[in-house]
This record gives sequence, C-alpha cells and structure tokens, in this order.
Amino acid sequence: MSTSTRSRAVRRDARAALLFLAPAVLFLAAFVAYPLLTAGVLSFHSWDGVSPRQWTGLANYERLLGDRIFWGSLRNNILVALTAIVFQVGVGMVIAYWLVRVVPRIKRFAMFLYVVPVVISEICIGLLWGFVYNPYFGLLNGFLNAVGLDELARGWLGDRSTAMPAVLVVMNLTYLGLYILLFVAAFENVDKAVYDAAAIDGAGHYRTFFSVSVPMVWSNVQATTLLAVVSSFKTFSLVYVLTRGGPNNATDVVSTYLFQTGFGNFEAGYASTIGFVQILLTAAVGVFVLGLMRRGKRGAA
Amino acid sequence: MRIRSAWRAALAAGAALVMLSACAGAGGSAGTSGGGGKTLEIWHAYAGQKDKVEFIEYALDTFKKAHPDIKVKEVSAEQSSYKTKLQTAMASGNAPDVFYTLPGGYLKAFVDSGQVLRLDDELAKQGWRDSFLESSLPSVTFGGSTYAVPIDIDAALVWYNKALFDAKGWQVPTTWPEFLDLAEKIKSAGVVPVALGNKDSWPATFWFQYAEMRMHGSGVMSGFGAGDKNATFGPEAKDAAGVLQTLAQKGYLPKGANGMSDAEANILFLNGKAAMVLNGTWQIGMSAEAPAGFELGYFPFPTFVQGRGNQSDVLAGVAASFAVSQKAKDKEAALAFLRHITSPEVMTKYVQIRKTMVARKGATTPEAAGPLLAGVVQDVIGKADTLDPFYDTAMAPKTTETYYSTLQGLIDGSIPPAAAADAIENAAKAGK
Repeated sequence: MSTSTRSRAVRRDARAALLFLAPAVLFLAAFVAYPLLTAGVLSFHSWDGVSPRQWTGLANYERLLGDRIFWGSLRNNILVALTAIVFQVGVGMVIAYWLVRVVPRIKRFAMFLYVVPVVISEICIGLLWGFVYNPYFGLLNGFLNAVGLDELARGWLGDRSTAMPAVLVVMNLTYLGLYILLFVAAFENVDKAVYDAAAIDGAGHYRTFFSVSVPMVWSNVQATTLLAVVSSFKTFSLVYVLTRGGPNNATDVVSTYLFQTGFGNFEAGYASTIGFVQILLTAAVGVFVLGLMRRGKRGAA
Repeated sequence: MRIRSAWRAALAAGAALVMLSACAGAGGSAGTSGGGGKTLEIWHAYAGQKDKVEFIEYALDTFKKAHPDIKVKEVSAEQSSYKTKLQTAMASGNAPDVFYTLPGGYLKAFVDSGQVLRLDDELAKQGWRDSFLESSLPSVTFGGSTYAVPIDIDAALVWYNKALFDAKGWQVPTTWPEFLDLAEKIKSAGVVPVALGNKDSWPATFWFQYAEMRMHGSGVMSGFGAGDKNATFGPEAKDAAGVLQTLAQKGYLPKGANGMSDAEANILFLNGKAAMVLNGTWQIGMSAEAPAGFELGYFPFPTFVQGRGNQSDVLAGVAASFAVSQKAKDKEAALAFLRHITSPEVMTKYVQIRKTMVARKGATTPEAAGPLLAGVVQDVIGKADTLDPFYDTAMAPKTTETYYSTLQGLIDGSIPPAAAADAIENAAKAGK
C-alpha cells in the first residue's frame, strides 16, 4: 500500500516539477536550442541569406581550416583570454586584497571608481577610447608630446603593430573593476580569525595573500577565471567600435569576423560554421580551464 | 553587512554578464506586412542625419497629402544597420512593400532571388524612364530589366581648403606629378596633405579606383558585373595599388589612417590640419559646420599623362534607389510612391536640402544646388566622358570585403602592390 501511495506522490511531484520547469525549458528550447541547431544545420550549407540554401557538406569546415583570417582572429581571442586572466582576475585579486586588507577606509570610493567603466555601455567606452587614441587630437599622443616623448606618438589603432595591444588595454581596463568587485566581496567573506592567526604566525601581506586569502577564495578564483575566459571568447562590441576588426583584419576576433562574414559578406552558411566552432571552442576551453584549476587546487592542498 | 555586499557583487556580476553577452545577433525585428486595405509599408535608411530626415519627411508628407486613401507605414533605420535589417527581412520572406536599397551588387542579390518587382512596363509609361539621367540606370538594371528607380548620384573629386591654399600660395595641381609635388610641399609645412580616415574602408577605394580609371580606363567593374570573361583590371592595377601605397609611405596620409574614422579625418580637414580630401559630393554637406574662414574648393582628380584611360572621367554612381517587393499587396500604391519620390518637385527639394546631385533630369538646378554643387556639375561631371560607378557597390559583398581589407593592407604596407592587384582581380573574378 505504502509503495503505491508513495509512487503516486512521486508522480504528482514530478508533474508539478515539470509544470514549474516548463517555462524555462520552453524558453531555452526556443531561444537557445533551436537557434543552435539551426546554426549547426546551416553550417553545412552555402547560403547568402536570400536565395535557396545549398547543401555543401564539409566544405565550410574545410575552408575554415585554411582560413588565415579565422585563425588570426582566434589567436586574438586567446590573447584576450590570457590578458584577461592576468590583468583582470590576477590584478583584480591583488587590488581587491589591497582594498580589503590594507586601505579599507578608501575601499568604497575606490570601488566606485573601478566599477564606473563596467556599468557604461561598451559602445560609449569604445568611442571614448577612440578619441584617446586619435593620433592628432587624442589624449595619449597629446600626453606623449607634452612630456617630450614625441617619437612614441603614433596612430595607435591604425598601426598594425599597436592596434591589438591598444584594444587589449581598453578591454582589460574596462573589466578590471568587475573582478575587483567580485574579489572584494569574496575576501570580505573570509573569517577575520584566519587573518589573525596568520598575523600571529608572522605572515606579511605577501605571505597572507598567497597562503591565506587566495586558497580561501579558490572557488571564486575558479568561477571568475571561467567568466573571464568565456567572455573573452565572445567579445565583440569594443573591437567593433574601436577598429571594425581592422586594419586588414589585424584586430578581428571570432565574433567580429563572424559578423563580417554573415552580415557583411552575406555568407550565412560559413558564418554559422564559424559560430558553431566558436561555441564548441568556448565550451572546450571552459572545461579545460575548470579541469586545470581543480588540479591546481588539489596540488595546492 | 557581509551578506549584503555579497548580494551586491552578485547583482553587479549579473548585470555585467548581460552586457558581456552583447554579441553578434544584430538583425532587427522584421516588420509584418500591413493588414487589409491600402496599407503601404515603406522602409528607408534616411535616419540619423538631419538633412536626410528632412528630405524623407517632405517626401512622405506630400505623398500622404496626394494619396489620402493610402495608409503609409514608415520604417526607418540608419544606413549601416539598415543594410542588415533589410537583408534579414528579405531572408525571412518579410520584404516591405517599398524599400530603399543600395544599387549594384546589394540589390542584385534580391533580384536574383526573385523578390524584386520588374519596373520595365511601368517605366515605359509617360516617359518615366527618359526622365532619368542615362548614366544612372545601369546600376539598377540587371539582365536587361530595371528593378529600382535611382534617387541621387554621388561623384568623387578632390576637395581642398581654399583659405589655407591661398595663405600658403599653393597651386591647384592638374597632373599626378604636380599633385605629388604639392603634397610634399604641404607635408613640409607641417600639414597633412590628404585627410583619409579609412577605418570604414571605403574612403581608400576612391584612390585606387581613380588611379585605375586614369591608367587603365573606366567600366572595368561593370564588365565583371555583366559576367564578361575578358573583364580585367589589367596590368595597370599594380600601379593603381602603388599610387595608394605611395601616399601612405611618403607620409601624405594621416598617422594611423586605417584606425581613423571618416568623421575624425573630416575634423582634421575642416580645422586646417589637413589640406585635401578625396571624397564624394557629400563633402559639401560635411563642410557646413566648418569653423569661420573655412572655404571649400574642389578640383578634378589629377591626370596621368601616359594613362590609357580617359583623363576626364569621373568616379560617380547612384548612391541610393527605391524598389518594390514582388510580394507587395498593392503594387499600384507602391508604384505611385516611386513616381512621387522621383517627381521633379520632390527631387528638387532633395537637391536643396542635401546639396547632392539627383538622377532626375533637370532637378539639379543651380538655384537648388547652390554655387559649389552647381560648379561641380558643370566643371567636373559635365566634362566627363563616362561616369564610372563605385567599384565597392558594384562588387559582390564578399569581393567588396577582399577589396576593402586589401586596400587597408596597402596603406599599412603589409601587402605589396602586385599582390594587392592579384587579390582584387581574383576576388572580382570569383564574385558573381
């Protein structure tokens, strides 16, 4: 008797659970799964977005393998990710520690300043930095000329050798604040007693940071690193506003190249291939980063 | 306190995630075709610029007054987003009844997929076809049929800062060697000779195309477009590419020209930090907000004495046109709008407002155009043997992309002229 009532109860619960999950599932199906599948199917076609699509099998993927611009843009994405780990997660952690443990009095004000760029739209940030980098009336060259470093002044965004570094600086400065914010919250949640114990053991800030603070917030480090890497792989607006991916594709990232292919060249099939590979790569890199950090944690423990 | 700050952090992180994911999915919502009765949906790209908005408002208001029975639904977007928006609507089969479109390759894609109404029969009535300048029709005609009515014509020529030239005693050049001498003089005076902001890639195309027109001749891209197997940029393409690279390497272009927008370059030009600019007739409008004392002058693109091309030809083409969807419910109403917007009255108004040339014969009157444009029409365009349409609008989209990035590579020196010429030739051959 009891089993049948229990199974009936379970079934009722399951039905209720399904009902509650339905909106989210439907939403995901309509706005994530369906477009993803469509892109997957499209990636095997040649399609200009207007005329009937043509099945081309693996041709798009073959083209991708030999596509110099795609690999260049992927390299740029990797650069974005690496610098994000160092200059957003890493430096963000150090500054957060400094704010929480060394100068707590200015913490609120400093955080406000750091977070300002995070809440401004990327388009505005890009436009503002465009003026900073302008070779003739920009702040940067103006500053260099003022301090007598005229030879260093150049057309930052138009010069092949400086365009990507210039874009990277903007990206990292923009999102540094987000990571400071996250780590300040994390460090504040570390029990004071742990710090007191470290202090009694004679640990300085350097030692406390690496042996106490970072291990204590390791799960946050994992999460933020993942966030930084994943967002690096789909970055778009700042690059688009600053350089349109130019000069001559030097600053293209996968998303800007995808946009160009799909909406500039009207190659919807090939753009889907790029997008599909981008999703797979982002997922793979995310899993890889998580695995690496789990091992790092075990090694540290 | 701790909990609260953690919450705050989580909220901020959530907000940031939303912003970080602001990614490629651009595509505006496709408008639905109007319901029953006489509803006419009109899409255009005359948004974002005061003079364009003023023009389309005039055209629409007068149309509504003349046809009170037609309910007009207007959808507007700014040029660059409009291209994507229309493309998306076409792809999903939701074409608007009447739409603004770029001529050439962009329109041809829609024509090839059978989405655009053929206008031949209508144009034959009441001499409508003959009311357009002959040179304006090829870019909206495919396979012998015309699919759109041309609105305005842009011509590219060299504009210069007259006050600055007078003050420094610089002479307007007529031949290419004279131009290079002048550029050297300007550079040594501490002024940028040529304001070129090539971030959006199209400004550099004028240099390559004019050099090609002078050295090889006009009509190359039209040949490719018509599927002519013998179409080629010829051995001169290498030299045309060399012209652009020379300008860059001699320091006649602004520093970082590839990273500078057209608007930024215009700031240099209007403020006397750059002396000349090769640009379309819209430069007249762009110079309206120049500081006091600025005076705009113009001269035709310099001649190449040994060039095979006609040395008076002008780089000019239809900038915009209007077409009717094959699916338009009320084709009569749609055609009535096309007739209205190309009427002498509306077109003269266009010239008055925008100071650019229109495709309608007789509408670009000296009174409406103002002295500068009237002068350009008479001295430069009037003396041209052929108007060669802009390569980049005539090219297939993918060819345009190669063309653009190759010219950027010429400017930053990463591509030598010979390789650039090959890349452009091959892309044009591959493009349909």
